Amino acid sequence: MIKRRTLVGASAATASFVGALFGGRKANAAKTKASGFAAADIEPRGSVGRLERLPTQHLEAQHDFITGFRTFANRDMTRAARKRIADIMRDKNMSPVDDLPIEEVLKHVGDDPLVAASARMWLSAQQINWTTLYEEFHGNADAYLAEMEAADNMGPGTLELNPDMEMPDYTKHEIHIQPGGYVGDDFAGHIYHYGTNNFFEGRNDQDELHIGLAGAVPEPTDGKVARILDQGCSSGQLSVALKQRFSDADVWGIDVGGPMVRYAHMRAVDIGVGVNFAQRLAEDSKFPDNHFDIVTNNIMFHEVSPEGTVEVLKESLRVLRPGGVFYPMDFYTGSGPGKGVYSSFRQWWDSRWNGEPWRLEYAKLGFEGFNQLMRDAGFEVNENGPPSGRRAKRNVVGIKPA
Amino acid sequence: MANSESSRKSYAADFIKSDTDQAVFLGNPLMDDMMTSIIALGAEVWANRRRTHIIELLFEKEGAVTSDMVEAYVPTAEEEAQFKKERDAFIQITYGHIARTGTDKTALTDDAIQDNM
Repeated sequence: MIKRRTLVGASAATASFVGALFGGRKANAAKTKASGFAAADIEPRGSVGRLERLPTQHLEAQHDFITGFRTFANRDMTRAARKRIADIMRDKNMSPVDDLPIEEVLKHVGDDPLVAASARMWLSAQQINWTTLYEEFHGNADAYLAEMEAADNMGPGTLELNPDMEMPDYTKHEIHIQPGGYVGDDFAGHIYHYGTNNFFEGRNDQDELHIGLAGAVPEPTDGKVARILDQGCSSGQLSVALKQRFSDADVWGIDVGGPMVRYAHMRAVDIGVGVNFAQRLAEDSKFPDNHFDIVTNNIMFHEVSPEGTVEVLKESLRVLRPGGVFYPMDFYTGSGPGKGVYSSFRQWWDSRWNGEPWRLEYAKLGFEGFNQLMRDAGFEVNENGPPSGRRAKRNVVGIKPA
Repeated sequence: MANSESSRKSYAADFIKSDTDQAVFLGNPLMDDMMTSIIALGAEVWANRRRTHIIELLFEKEGAVTSDMVEAYVPTAEEEAQFKKERDAFIQITYGHIARTGTDKTALTDDAIQDNM
């Protein structure tokens, strides 16, 4: 926990000076500062590139550990659990690549200590990840809220909050067991951003992943890109990357979570990139018909209920102009889910215990099922569009017919 | 949840609480809690080890260290790579054996005695 005096008193410039003085890499304070925001910006340890360093060495080191631990859990523990499950199934004269109902899977492997530990360890790290961040931001709530307040009405870009907006129940869950989820905690954006940084095992600290995703988004065939919508934008990293790629376009990032778009806006102001963020629903976006040239989203649909998915697709078509491009990026927008007993087990506990309530429904749709929903909504569908940069070699693209 | 210890305007809405904190994977809720504790302890040990390294680095370079210097320090790319190597080795030596958990549940039974004869 940082001392309040340190929090408010130390400037990024000081951190930069001290960092340079003592021979480390430079903690830079050179991010473009919007007029006036520098005074409110809480950045006691400066930033490395566009990443504001966590406010204490201790918290930064805890998250360094969690990054390493996630790598261990995702590789070593997963490999071991996958092998153990294969051994168990073979001992029972069953194939590990069979697709079994989850009840059957749990009956065979649920009481194996190694298999159970693989899930337990992953979830424990997830809980520690959120808890450490939650304590930091809530422990200094007033200062961090003041920082967001200072940015609310600053540019570049705009912020629209709709706290009285009706939210569908499916949006209210603690997705990824993040405390308060996307809508229920004032620091949802802060916690999500830093919590997912270690989820990406350090490979997205400079938004590298989101810059890659923005680079993958195809343009309409006529080349006109004046307006772009990023649905379910969370902490706004893709929205910012889209604006940086399409600098002349009007880019909007919308999310159901007010605290999410508040953080996204503050961060964009801090970086100096003009995106318009709004607390709105992807299925009821309030934009005019035929408004956008590109509508996109990243890892959103697996967190949307089946009914919500249909509504979001309809709304996406409505707000796109004829010839406009719809480019969703998610687990199965380029290929189907993994098969076999281990994959079933992993998808199940992720859904049930990691707060991914619709992950199984989304997996059941798979690549073909989701594409059919796009056709049903009215899109012309190209199943072999450019890959989004995930593992698949293609990604589905929807075009609004003329 | 909202905004603890602040009277500033909150934009947090109602949410649906997860029950994951009640989940028992290891047959006994205390075992689950102990696993979480052991991982949290690992994070604390690593944080202190990393801090010690930074203090040593600063001391070597400057001959004196203050807590402000430690807080401000940004490791060089080479130092960061070395930290990462050491962190991953620490995780392997501390937790790696769990990935190699055995399957012979007869270690303290008559079967083991028979095996030894």
